[in-house]
Parts: sequence; C-alpha cells; structure tokens
Amino acid sequence: MMAPPVSHFLLVVLFSASCKAIISLDQMCTEKEANKTYNCENLGLREIPDTLPNTTEFLEFGFNFLPTVQNTTFSRLIDLIFLDLTRCQINWIHEDTFQSHHQLNTLVLTGNPLIFMAETSLDGPRSLKHLFLIQTGISNLEFIPEQNLKNLESLYLGSNHISSIKFPENFATQNLKVLDFQNNAIHYLTGKDVSTLEATNLSLNLDGNDIKDVEPGAFHSKVFQSLRFGGTLDLSVILKGLQNSTTQSLWLGTYQDTEKQDLTTATFEGLCEISVESINLQQHHFSPLSSTMFRCFTQLQELDLTAAHLRELPSGIQGMNSLKKLVLNVNHFEQLCQVNAASFPSLTDLYIKGNLNKLSLGAGCLEKLENLQRLDLSHSDIEASDCCNLPLKSLHNLQYLNLSYNMPIGLQSQAFRECPKLEVLDLAFTHLTVSAPQSPFQNLSLLQTLNLSHCLLDTSNQHLLEGLLDLRQLNLQGNHFQDNSISKTNLLQTVSSLEVLILSFCKLLSVDQQAFHSLGKMSHIDLSHNNLTENSINALSHLKGTYLNLAANSIRIIPPDLLPILSQQSTINLSHNPLDCTCSNVHFLTWYKENLQKLEDLEETVCANPPNLRGVKLSEVSLSCGITAVGIFFLVVFLFLFIILLIFSAKFFLRWKYQHI
Amino acid sequence: MKGLAAAFLVWTLLSPKGGGSQAWPTHTACKDGGLEVLYQSCDPLQDFGFSVDQCSRHLKSNLSIRFGMILREDIKELFLDVSLFSEGLSILSYSYPICEEDLPKFSFCGRKRGEQIYYAGPVNNPGFDIPKGEYQVLLKLYNKNNPMVACANATVICS
Repeated sequence: MMAPPVSHFLLVVLFSASCKAIISLDQMCTEKEANKTYNCENLGLREIPDTLPNTTEFLEFGFNFLPTVQNTTFSRLIDLIFLDLTRCQINWIHEDTFQSHHQLNTLVLTGNPLIFMAETSLDGPRSLKHLFLIQTGISNLEFIPEQNLKNLESLYLGSNHISSIKFPENFATQNLKVLDFQNNAIHYLTGKDVSTLEATNLSLNLDGNDIKDVEPGAFHSKVFQSLRFGGTLDLSVILKGLQNSTTQSLWLGTYQDTEKQDLTTATFEGLCEISVESINLQQHHFSPLSSTMFRCFTQLQELDLTAAHLRELPSGIQGMNSLKKLVLNVNHFEQLCQVNAASFPSLTDLYIKGNLNKLSLGAGCLEKLENLQRLDLSHSDIEASDCCNLPLKSLHNLQYLNLSYNMPIGLQSQAFRECPKLEVLDLAFTHLTVSAPQSPFQNLSLLQTLNLSHCLLDTSNQHLLEGLLDLRQLNLQGNHFQDNSISKTNLLQTVSSLEVLILSFCKLLSVDQQAFHSLGKMSHIDLSHNNLTENSINALSHLKGTYLNLAANSIRIIPPDLLPILSQQSTINLSHNPLDCTCSNVHFLTWYKENLQKLEDLEETVCANPPNLRGVKLSEVSLSCGITAVGIFFLVVFLFLFIILLIFSAKFFLRWKYQHI
Repeated sequence: MKGLAAAFLVWTLLSPKGGGSQAWPTHTACKDGGLEVLYQSCDPLQDFGFSVDQCSRHLKSNLSIRFGMILREDIKELFLDVSLFSEGLSILSYSYPICEEDLPKFSFCGRKRGEQIYYAGPVNNPGFDIPKGEYQVLLKLYNKNNPMVACANATVICS
C-alpha cells in the first residue's frame, strides 16, 4: 500500500524538477559584452541573479520586481557604472544602497512608485552624473536626497507632479547641463524660482507644462544652452519673462493635440530684448504672417517654421540679414518663389522638405542666396521636365542638394552647371529621365557622394556618369541593367576614383570579369540582393582589402581558384546564399572555417544543400571528403580479388586456347 | 489518482507564466453605427488600451482616440505601419511618421522608456465611408532601434 504514494511523490518531484529547469533557463540574463554588460529585463526577478559576475559594469535590470532596494541588493556588483532599474516597482530606497558603488555614473529609476528615498540612499558614487527620476510620483524637489549630487550633469524629472522649479537651498545645481521637467504641472515661473538654478549653459526642458505666467525678467542675465517651452499656449508671456537672457536655442513649437493661439506681431515683442540664436515655432498658426512680425528677429541665425500652415512668406521682410538657416518643411507652398528668399541674403541652409502641395521650382527663385550651401527639397512632389539650371540659378556655393523622393525629373547635359561646388547630391527615389548620350553630372568635379538609388536610370548610357572626377560614393541600388548583367563596357568606367559602390537590388545575374577594371580605389562594394553566382567573383580579382557584401545572391559552389580573390578582401558577407555543403564545395568550406574573422553575419550564412544540412551554419559543418581507412581496406581487397580473377581467367583462357592446337 | 492530481496541481502552479504561447485578450475599441472594431495586442510583453470615440461606418475626419500603455522604448522617433487585409488579400499598406526628431507631431513625442502614457486627442485622419465587409488590420508602432513599441491585430466588422 506504500508504493503508490511514493511513486506519486516521485512524480511530483520529477514534474517540479523539470519546471525548475525551465524557470532557470527563462531567468537567464543576456550577455552583451563578456563580464561587463548584461541585460536582465522582463524576467520578473526579485534579486540580482547569482549568475552575474562581480565585474558587471553595465546592467539593464528594468521591468523586474524589487519593492525595496537597500545596501545588500547590489552589494556584490561594486564595479557598476550604469544601472537601469526602470519599472521595477521600487517603493523604498533605503540608507546606503549604493555605498560601495564608487564608479556609478548613471542611475535610471524611471517609472517606479517611490514612497521614500533615504537621506543617504544615493551616497557612495564618487561622481554620479546622470539621474533619471521620470514618473516616480515626485511632487516636491525636496524628495530628492541632495547630499551626493554635486557632480550631477543631467537630471530627468519628467511626468511627475512638480509645480515649481525652485530647488532646495543646498541642492548643488552648478554642474547641471540637462534639466528636464517635461510634462509636469509647472504653471508659474518667478525670478526666485529661476535664481536657484546656478548652472550656466543649461538645457532646460519645460515642454508640456502649460505655463500661464512668467514673472517679467525672471530669466534676467541667465545664460542657457537651450530652453524648451513646447505646447505653451501664450508665447508672449514666455518671451517677456525671458527679457535680458541669453540662449542658444529656444523651442516654442506646439503640437497637433494642443490648444493653440494665433501668433501676432504683439506675440514677438518680447523677443527684441532676448539674445537668441535659434528659434523653433513648429505647427503654429500665424494671423496672418506679415513682414512686421519679424521686427524682433534681427539677431536670429536659425528659424524653424515647420508645418506652420504657410502658403508664402511675405516679401520685404526687413532686418533678417543674419539668418543662416531657414526650415520651411511641411508647409503649403505652390511656387518656390513664394518663399521670397531675397529677404534672407546670408542664408546658408534652406530646408523645404515634405511640402504638402505640388511644388513648382520656377526660375531663379533662389538666385539672391549666393551663400547657400545646403538645400533640401525632398519629398515635395516636385516635377520638372528640364532641371536644374534655371531653378538653381546663381547658387554657385551650393555643396549639398537633396531632391530625393520627388516626381519625375528630366535632366539634360550639364544639368547642375549653376552649382559647380556640389559635394553631395541625393536623387534617391526620384525618377530621372536622361536621354542618351547626355551627361547630366558633367562639370561636377567636386562631387563626392551621389545617390541614384531607385531612379529608374537608363544604365546603358555610357556617358551618364561622365565628368565626376572626384566621386567617392555611388549608390545605384534598385536600378536595372541591360540583360541583367554588367558588361565589360559600362557606365562605371568614367568614375575611377570611386571608393564605395552600392549595386544591391539590381536584379543582376552576372558581372563581367572586366566590369570593375577601372575601379582601383574601391574599399566597399555592395552586391547584395541580386541573383549573382560564383562566376561574378572574378570581377573582383584586382581588388584588395575591400568590404564585400554578396548577401542574398545565388552563390552555391565557390571553386578553389576563386578563393584567393576572397582571401585578399577584408570583410565578406555571404549570408542568405544557397550555399552547397557537399564534398564538391569542400575547398570553400575549409577556407570558410579558416577565415571566420573575415566573415560577416555568420548566423545567417547557412547550407542549402544537401537536404540534411539545410539551415545548418557553415561554421558548424564538418565534412570528411577524403577516402577513409575502411574505404581503403575495401578498395585494396577489391583490387586484390580483381587481380586474382584476372590471373585465373588468363590462365583459363590460355589453357583453353592451347588445348585446341 | 489523488497523487497524480496533486502532481498536476504542483506542476501548473510552478509552470512559468507567459511563455509566448499565451495571447492577450481581445478588446473592443468601438461598437456603434454599424461598425465594430476589435483588437488584440501582438506584443508578447504587454497589452495596451485603445478606444475610438464616435464609431460609425461613415468615418469622420479627425477622430478622437484614447490610448494607454507603458513605453518599453524611448519615442523621440516613432513610426506607424498599417497593413489592411480583406479575405486574406492585402488591400493597403502604408507607413506614417508620428514623432520625428525635426517634427514631433504630438505632445507625447520625446517621452522616455518606462513611462506610462495616456493620450486622449485627435489623430488627424481623413474622413471616409467604410464599405461593408470584414477587414483585418495590422498596426505596428516602432522606432529606429526597435521593431516593436506596440503591435495590434485588429478586426473591423462593417455591417
């Protein structure tokens, strides 16, 4: 009668043992850098696992369960530099929790329902630099133990219930660089509050605080790196409060989901008494935008009017002579001339990206911008049959031009004659029509980077890339070649200084052995996502020390005579190819194992053949393709028997023959 | 038998929870005016809450939604991918930036990982009539570094 309970007990032990094995597997932290960096997130841990080495320096421990942390909690990991305790349901941080953690630099406590932090809870670290106390329920800055924060560089206090930025008397703020009060309940700022911030060149973030009033001159003689008041309803209140202050950048934008007030000339009156270099006014409405509105913008160097519902900028804006950068992205211009660019003669950077109407370029709309260096007209529905000498007239100093993601653009020979100093030209995803034998990029002798990906180019035009004497990087991704192959004579022959070439997603079946012959300076070549076979490797025989990407092609067997070509490159990616793991590919497989340090993406470099090795990593395949001892034995026996048979039959034959004589 | 039951009990008690196979419950985002929208979180780590005000097959522009979740990633940059299927066939798929470094469209842009967010406000959609039928919608929120900030499998039943 004793037997069944015992067996049941055994069963229970067995079951629970198997479960424990599963749990301990589940609880494994992932090692990102041996003995140094570990991620233990989302494991429901209640303590530091014993498997973590004492030498751990960076620990991501978020989304676990540590209601109380005290001096025993992390005591073993005294080398900690970075500790992330996001959402660990921490209620209590007791005395001397980090007493022995002298190296601790960053502590993240975001999203913990803190009830109390002991006076000495942050003592220990010699130089605690970054402290995240976002959404920890703080309503009063006195809550933060201030004793050991004199070296603090960034303090994140977002999404709490803080209503005043006034720091306690002993709180050392002089080394702070970043102070983040995003999404709190700060409605009023007084001079007294602001005077507790002793730091200079601070970046102060008050986004999402619905500031109702600022004491005029509250920021008197203060110097900031950046100030953010995103989503504030009444900007004039802010600007009056910033009287006699200095700041590099001032972010006054608003959001789609925020209540707005139309901006008027009166809104910006306070700006005349502020020293500021860069202003952002994104998503505001102007009522209506007049030239007088910019009366106090004279000192400004950067102005961002992204998504400001603009149909045009008024002409005759006075005093914007020093503006260097103007951002007009996501507005409603119909003509480039509606920007009235002549008001900004010093402009070096102009961004009109993502225009919401079809933008027509017109002629000479930007010709007064002689200093313009960067122009971004991407994603703006631009269509032009003959680009770009008239639209870009007189932009002699332009270095960067982005026309990507537009409607079809027609280019003639010397299409960029007006901007001979271009260094970067981005035309990606814009359908280019170039009739052969035109050379649209002729004269761009300083151009270094050209992005022509997905431009539906006529690649049979041998003259397409003529004149690009200094071109270093060329992206031809997604373009197609005649017969899906790159022949001996091709458009790359004129760009001999090329260092980086991207030919991925070009549906290539083959590359001629001589195709890249004129390209002697290559350091990076991407041929991934084509249908190339091993034969195309011959085209790379003259290249040395390059990064070579052959991923996602149709390479099966690489014969021994091609291996030296691979050996002379620095990094090779052969992942996602239908590689053969039979004895017919044994030379390559041996080479592969000897050159693992050269190979990239080993996890995805797997066999496709034979069927029993499909999906197995190449680095794990071991083949024995020589004849084995057993094989030799059988062969010898077989030969021996064969010879005996031969002798006997000869004997028999001779005897039979002579019998008849 | 008792012992076996006990063993089973112990086993179920000790079994690790979650484990990937467990699915989140299906919630109703709205049910009104001939339109029913059901959704289920396809993020193995967590569920989220979502509802649409004013649900109707004549979908109004600029709908108001309510949304609550815990962020597992920073959302200084946040993108939405929507794929719409009907009877297993893909009808529409598009990508939309919600938060970008140079254009944070919504007030919640820039919130940090670990934060709990609640959003009640407009989504700036165009208005349109939904043809009768049943649709499957896959919605994915992601940022530059992570393929998943939130994920939803939704079913739209329009009668």
